[in-house]
Formats: sequence, C-alpha cells, structure tokens
Amino acid sequence: MSTSQSPPPGPSQQPPPQATTSSQPDDLEVVTDDNDSDYSSIDSEIPFSTPNLPPSMTTMMIDSLFTTPPPLHDPLITPTSTLQDETLSDILPFLSSSPLPPDLFTYNAYNVPSLRREAHIAFLHASLGRLPGKFVAADASRPWFLYWCLSGLAMLGEDVSRYRDSVKETARSMQNGSGGFGGGGGQLSHLATSYAVVLALAIVGGEEGFEVIDRRQMWRWLGGLKQRDGGFEVSVIITLLDLPLDLTPESPAYKPDDPSFNLLSGVADYVRRCQTYEGGISSSPSAEAHGAYAFCALGCLSLLGPPSITIPQTLNLPSLLSWLSSRQYAPEGGFSGRTNKLVDGCYSHWVGACFPLIEAALANSPTPVNDSLFSREGLIRYILNCCQDETKRGGLRDKPGKMSDAYHSCYVLSGLSAGMHQWVLEDEEWMVLPYLEGEQVFENADRVRPVHPVYVIPQGAVRAMRGYFRGKGGFN
Amino acid sequence: MLSIVCLQAATTTVTTTKPSAPAAPSTNNNNNASKQPEKEEPSTVAELSRYHFELCHPFEGKRSTTQADQLVWLASRLVTRLPVRFLGAKGQKDLWKTVNEHSLPARGFNLRKYKKRQQQHKGVDSRGRDIGEYTAKEWGIRQEKRVTLSCLQLQSQRFRELRDRQKRGFVDYQTGDQVLVTDSEYTEEKQRRREMERLSRELYGAERMARQGKLALDPEWDDVVPIVMEDPENALAAIAYSPDYAEAMSYLRAVMSAKEYSPRSLKLTEYIINLNPAHYTVWLFRAANIFAMKLPIPDEITWLNQIALENLKNYQIWHHRNLLVEHYHPSIASDPPALASFATSEREFLTQILAEDTKNYHVWSYRSWMVGKLGVWGNPEELRSTEELIEQDVRNNSAWSHRFYLVFSDPENCTPGEKYAATEADPKVPGEIVDREVAYAEEKIRLAPQNQSGWNYLRGVLVKGGRGLSSVREFAEEFVKGLGEGEEGEEVRSSHALDLLAEVYKELGERERADLCLRRLMEKWDRIRGGYWQWRREGLELAEVAA
Repeated sequence: MSTSQSPPPGPSQQPPPQATTSSQPDDLEVVTDDNDSDYSSIDSEIPFSTPNLPPSMTTMMIDSLFTTPPPLHDPLITPTSTLQDETLSDILPFLSSSPLPPDLFTYNAYNVPSLRREAHIAFLHASLGRLPGKFVAADASRPWFLYWCLSGLAMLGEDVSRYRDSVKETARSMQNGSGGFGGGGGQLSHLATSYAVVLALAIVGGEEGFEVIDRRQMWRWLGGLKQRDGGFEVSVIITLLDLPLDLTPESPAYKPDDPSFNLLSGVADYVRRCQTYEGGISSSPSAEAHGAYAFCALGCLSLLGPPSITIPQTLNLPSLLSWLSSRQYAPEGGFSGRTNKLVDGCYSHWVGACFPLIEAALANSPTPVNDSLFSREGLIRYILNCCQDETKRGGLRDKPGKMSDAYHSCYVLSGLSAGMHQWVLEDEEWMVLPYLEGEQVFENADRVRPVHPVYVIPQGAVRAMRGYFRGKGGFN
Repeated sequence: MLSIVCLQAATTTVTTTKPSAPAAPSTNNNNNASKQPEKEEPSTVAELSRYHFELCHPFEGKRSTTQADQLVWLASRLVTRLPVRFLGAKGQKDLWKTVNEHSLPARGFNLRKYKKRQQQHKGVDSRGRDIGEYTAKEWGIRQEKRVTLSCLQLQSQRFRELRDRQKRGFVDYQTGDQVLVTDSEYTEEKQRRREMERLSRELYGAERMARQGKLALDPEWDDVVPIVMEDPENALAAIAYSPDYAEAMSYLRAVMSAKEYSPRSLKLTEYIINLNPAHYTVWLFRAANIFAMKLPIPDEITWLNQIALENLKNYQIWHHRNLLVEHYHPSIASDPPALASFATSEREFLTQILAEDTKNYHVWSYRSWMVGKLGVWGNPEELRSTEELIEQDVRNNSAWSHRFYLVFSDPENCTPGEKYAATEADPKVPGEIVDREVAYAEEKIRLAPQNQSGWNYLRGVLVKGGRGLSSVREFAEEFVKGLGEGEEGEEVRSSHALDLLAEVYKELGERERADLCLRRLMEKWDRIRGGYWQWRREGLELAEVAA
C-alpha cells in the first residue's frame, strides 16, 4: 500500500502502546489512557470496572473447540495439509495441557498461563540496546526496532519517557535534509522508516523530540513521492504532523489544472483496487489478499474520513469481513495471514486489530455489531499459551518452536490488546473499554494497555503530537 | 678553558691511577664487581642492551664500578669528544694509551642509538608478547620483516607514482610510450598491500594499527575518501557492525554522495548486497548505476536470479527486478518476439523459484505485475504453469489467486481500466469463460471439499460473471446432507458449502434454511467464527423485515 518499497519485516504497520507512569495492570481499573504528564489529557480517564475471575479452585474444563482438531478434515494430503497438520500437533499440547515451565509460568483456572510481563519488558529493553553483528540484516530497519520495542513497552505499562533523549538522537542520525528519515545514517529516506521514526518520537513524547521533525521538508518530500496511488503510511504521517495536503508544483503528481488533486487524492481508489475476489486486501491490485494489507487499508480509510462512510464506500464490506473472519482457526485460536496459510502471532494484530475498525465501519449500518466478530477467547488463549517465549529470554513469537523477536512482540501484544478491549468511535474520538462479555479467561494482571486503533500507539501520544503541531499553525 | 682544566685533571688522574682490569668487570674482585658473576648471561634483547649500556655508563647504570674504572670510562668519552690536540702530543699519547690499554667493551657506544633501540624493545608484538623478551635471533627475524615491509612500502609508493603519472598522461622518456599501469601491476599491488597488511599486523598487532579493510587495501579505491559515520553514543538498537561491513558502507556513502556511477561502484553494491541483501539504499544505488552506465538489463537479471534463490524471503530483490523490467520494457515493447522470449525466460525463472517456496508473496506479487506489464495474461503457458502448481497442491491459494488475475484481468475478458472491482460483476466477461472457470473450481473442490481456496475462487468467478450464487446450489448441496436432522442424520463435508448455501437460500428467499446453515456453522461446523455467524444471522432477520 505504500508508494515505495515496503520495510523489510512484514508490511508497513504500527503497533501500539500506552504510555503510563505505572506498569501495574490493575491501574487499568481507573485508567485507560496514559496519564503521562506530557500529554494533554482530553478525554481523560474512562472508568473501568473489571470483574475479576472466579477464584481459581478447580481447573475449569477447556472448551473442546480449543483442544481437539477441527470437525472437518479432508483426506487428501498435499504439502499445505501436511504442514498444517504438523503445526497443529505442535500447538495442541500448549492449548490443552500445561507444558510451559512452572517456574516461569503460572496457569489460571482456565488453564491459561499468565503474561510474563517482566520478562517481555526486559526483552524489549534489551532489543533497544546494542545489537550484535548478526543483526546487520536489520541495518535498514532500525527505526522499526525503535517503534516495535517502544510500542510493546508502552503496552506492557512501562514508562518509556526515559528514552526521549536517545530516540531524539537516534532519529537525528537517521534524518536526511530532504525531510524524510532513512533506516540509519547515510541511508536514503524511506516512507516506511519515516513512519516508524515519527511514531517512535510520538510514543516517547516531548516537544524537543517533536522538533526534530522538519515538517516543511517532510511535506515537500511526501509531495515528491506522490504517485497516483497512495498509502497508509502517508496518511499517518500527514495526520500526526498536521501537514497540509496541497502538492507543490515540483511534485510529479501536481496537476496545474486540478488544484484539488492533493497528497491523498486517489488513495481511496487505490485501496479499492487492492480488494481481491476473496474479499481481503492485497499489496497491489493484482496480488493475493494478505492480512497486513487489510489493516493498512482499513487504517488508511479511517484517516481519510469517518470509517462508517469511507470504508463501506470504498470496499465490499461483507466480503472483507467474511475473509477476515476466515483467518481465525480452531483449535489454534490465532489468525493466519492468507487463505490456507498457518496461524502466526503477528496476525493477532494485522487481522485482530481490523475488527475495531470494521465495527466502526458498521456502526451506522442496519447491521451494527452487537457482539464480538471474532473469538476473543481463542485469540487470547493462542497468545498466552503459544506466543510467549518459554525461556529466560522473554519476548513474544510467531508460534511454538520459533524465536521471539521485537516485531512479533509488538504485534502479538497489540493483538492481545485488541482481544481484551473494545473501541467505540464517537464524534471523531476513539473511546476504549475493557471487553466484558462472556467469560474472561485471563487474570486482570495480564491485561495490557490499549493503543489507538489506527496509529497503534498510545492514544495520549497521538493527542500530544497532533495537538502540538496543530497548535503551531503553519510551519513555524 | 674550564674544559681543558678538567681534561688535564682527568688525564693526570688517569695516568697516575692504574685502573684494575676495567675491561673485564666480571673478574673484578672489588665488592661491587663481585656481584656480577651472579647475574645471568643476558639472553633477551632488552637484557643485552641493558648490559651493554651498563658496561659503558658506570654513572648511569645500576652496575657500580671502581673509581678507576670510572676514570677510564671518562677518559674514553673525552678522547672522542674534545679537541684533544690541545693537550699536546704527550698528553694525547698518554690519553690514547690509557684508553687503549683498558679498552672498554663498548667504547663507541652511542647513547642516542641505545635509547632508540630501547624504544624498539618496548611494547608487545601481535601475540601480546613483550618485544624485549625476544632472543637476539628472534629479534633478527623481526628486523628482517621490518626491512621487508619497508621495501614493500617503497614498491607501493612507486606504484602510486606510476599511476599518478598515467593519470597525468606522462610519456616514458626512454620508450616514448604512454605511461601505463597494467592489470598485472594492479594485481601485484593488491597482493603487495595484503602482504603489507599481514606484516604490519604481525609486527605491530591490532592495537597500534588501525585495521585496513579490504577496500582500503584495494588500489582501485585509493582516490576515494570514505565517509565514516558513527551512531550517536546513546543511539538505540545500534548494531555492532563487522569491520568489513562498516568499511563498505563508508565507501558506499562516499560514492553515493559523489554520484559516481562506475564499474567499481557496481562492484561495491554487489559486495554490500552479499553482506546485507535487505539494504534498500544499496539496491537503489545499484539500479542507478545500471541505468546510468546503460548496462544490459538481461545480464543484470541473470545475476539477480542467483541472489534471489539464495535469499527467498527478501523483498528488495523483487523491487529491483521490478525497476529493471520497468526500464527494459520500452526497448522490447514493439518487438513481439523479444517480448515473448523475455516473458518466457521470466516464467522459467519464476517457476524455478516457486518450486522452492510455493507461496512466496514477493514472487507471486512480482509475477502478476510482470504479467500485466508484459501483457501476457492470455499466454497459455502462463496459465498452464499456474495450473501445474494447483495440481501439485490444490490448497496453494497463491496459485489460485494468480489464476483469477490471469483470467479476469485479461483485456480479452474484461472491461478495460479496472472499472470494476474484483468483487463486482463485469458484463464483458464471456459466458464460456465463466462456465470453464466454474467447472474448474468445482472439479478441484471435489478433491478436497474443506479447501477454502476452491470455494473462494468459485464465489469470485460467479460474482465476476454476474451469476447468482444460486446457480451452484446443487453443487454446494452435494456436501451437505440432512442438515439439522440430528447428529446421525446430518452429514456435512464442507463448512464453506454451508456458508455458501446460507447465501444461496437467502438469495432465493428461503430465510429459515439460510438461518439453519448459519446456526449449524455456529453450533458445530465452524464454531470459532461464532460471533461472525451470529452477525450474519442478524443480518438475515433484518433482510426479511425489510422485505
């Protein structure tokens, strides 16, 4: 969906954290927004009253949905089915028994292990530190490491404002005079890395950090990139930095005879062309539907206007929803990224985080969403049972047998947050509440902080950055 | 004048006092000298030079000597330094006699040289061994290496001068030919520098020597000043680069900022791509080099193929290929045979790489883009090779997706200009194409009814062809028997058939049957999606109310 190359790992997305001063999840009973002093709190605290679990006495039966193979299984064997069957047999023990090391995990009455908050926090802090030489493949995507780690830390309740100076310095070292940010010093500016840097600066907050961004140059640079198609990343940068939409005459897309053609013109139409016959969204108009692009598409449309208008106007919503819903598998509970592919923790975000946007899109329709469109229990079980690293390393992962990494940590946590909360869009303001329907299979202590459903960073961080730049008026 | 007085005094003393065997201190029997035999023979160079020094510097060394010895030594110093002729012939003669008789072991010992040597004995070699600990023999070997290194440095200097002359267009004064640095001289110089690097490291170790990277050692890069960049001290997620990588990047920054498009720049990009193929900047610079130097695109694609096979999950490779084809296309666009042959070679390679990784998103995305760019939707080979992948694995959704693109984006079969979205009917799709594709999907679904790829394709075809879903009612019902008739009576072979039937019945106004499908999906056949099925059921009710 972006106008130039996509970043190395995965597509172009953002995760989310919630910056807060305390990391105790129980705080959530009173606070949903970060209360970092730096953020101007607009719609401050939303009172939460989270019912706690019944005291764990005897282990409750796990729904057989999550412990037995699916009811329908074709006898025909192909490479896809072989891989799926093998993966399922690897995952099933994690879902039905308690195979995780008891010194690192405690199981609750629902046979769901606790979130190893401290271990994940330590892993993400370490991932922001000096990386060994084998990370050279990440040399062009260091801004993503900043974003993934900071966002993940914020979701885990860590105060990340201590990174203000270092994010600022790091961002400077990646900045080009042209206005954009590259993957590191001396690298060309790139939309994806610029997007990640802007989000990282927003997460840690602080006006000094915001001031690193040269908005006028950024605006010119974006105009220079503008082609007839557009992207989610551009929309995010524009809205966060409160940039004008006009194109300068130097832009290759500038139309002297059509002054209304701007930075975001044609974006919605491009998104429309990316919907495939399956209902999902692809990276470009001729490719296969893929979870990451579904989120980018919905996020982008939600920034172009009210999602209840832009999304149904642009996309075939019923077929998109059908496709999104098909991404959740049982008994795994997690999401896959494409038809007939395996579940992977990162799609907890790419697919899972689509649902709040879909709900917003359906809000004013004849068929609003009354309940959850996906199995929250399934997703939460998958994440807590299968996506937590089982060693001292910490961090979150794709599935059992895989190594944890910053990318998965961020997006698995975002998915977990999507599973634990629900969002309502009222008067252009997103409001979050804990999801309270049905049984809650996780402990309150495991609740992670919500993140903005489009920017995937703490809501307060979004407000602070937008507010700051809006307040400036113009480029001064 | 004072000096003369002193000299006289000294001479007098020397001549009147008989020094006792100054030349053989080890045999001296005075107190101080008696300690000497206990001292071991000097074995290391440091000890040796210390020994020599002490022999000759009775006032400076630890070795104490008798007063007589000291006077002899003093005389020996004077005799070489002062204008002894002022002493007169006699005085001179006596002085020389004294000195010669008591000939000191290192009469001509040079303090400056000694101090210099002492310097050389300081420090450690590349293995961390104290150089002072060397034996004389080892020291000799080391000195030989130093000489060799100096010679190589001279030769290297000569090479640089020669190259400089070539650059300025000098002419050899003897032969009248242009000064020319030959390839073999380049190669020799390269080897020479490696040898110099090796010797230097051996002699001086890593500590005292900035490491010379591969490029710094390559004469080809002598005129480039690398742009070294270091992360700020508190940079986050900073990577501990290998020295080779850090050096290569600093040269890349230099040639990029000079916009140097040259064979060596191209070679540098290849070198860096091998170290880190995910570096988008270097790929873009490589493309710029190729276009600026007008290098043949097919050669670059051949080179790229190998890199792609070695890095299956890399995205930048495919973006590069995309740029290459974009650039190459105009030159073959009006030459159908060239276009066809290029499309064939692309397909052959894509088939090869998809055999390694049948659902690779980058490869498939490139493939569909390439088909559109070259306009080969209708190429029967393209369809056949896609079909082959579906034959191998009917669940390969990427192949199904590509098939849909080939069939329904073919300008022969659709309204141009992407007027209709993929989820919309296109009146220009020929009926026989729809028939053919429906039949294809149905055949494949029968092989594995729970395979969603086939069902999604079938739906997609029906929608595109403007046919109602109810046109496949009978087909879908093959997979569902006795719905809602209890555990025994109900036989469902595909949840996707149920899903489709729910819509078929809705389309036909059979709301209750539609709801039954959704309910059974919710209760039994696809429970994980219960919330979604419930939402569909609510929609169904609403549709009826509206009706």
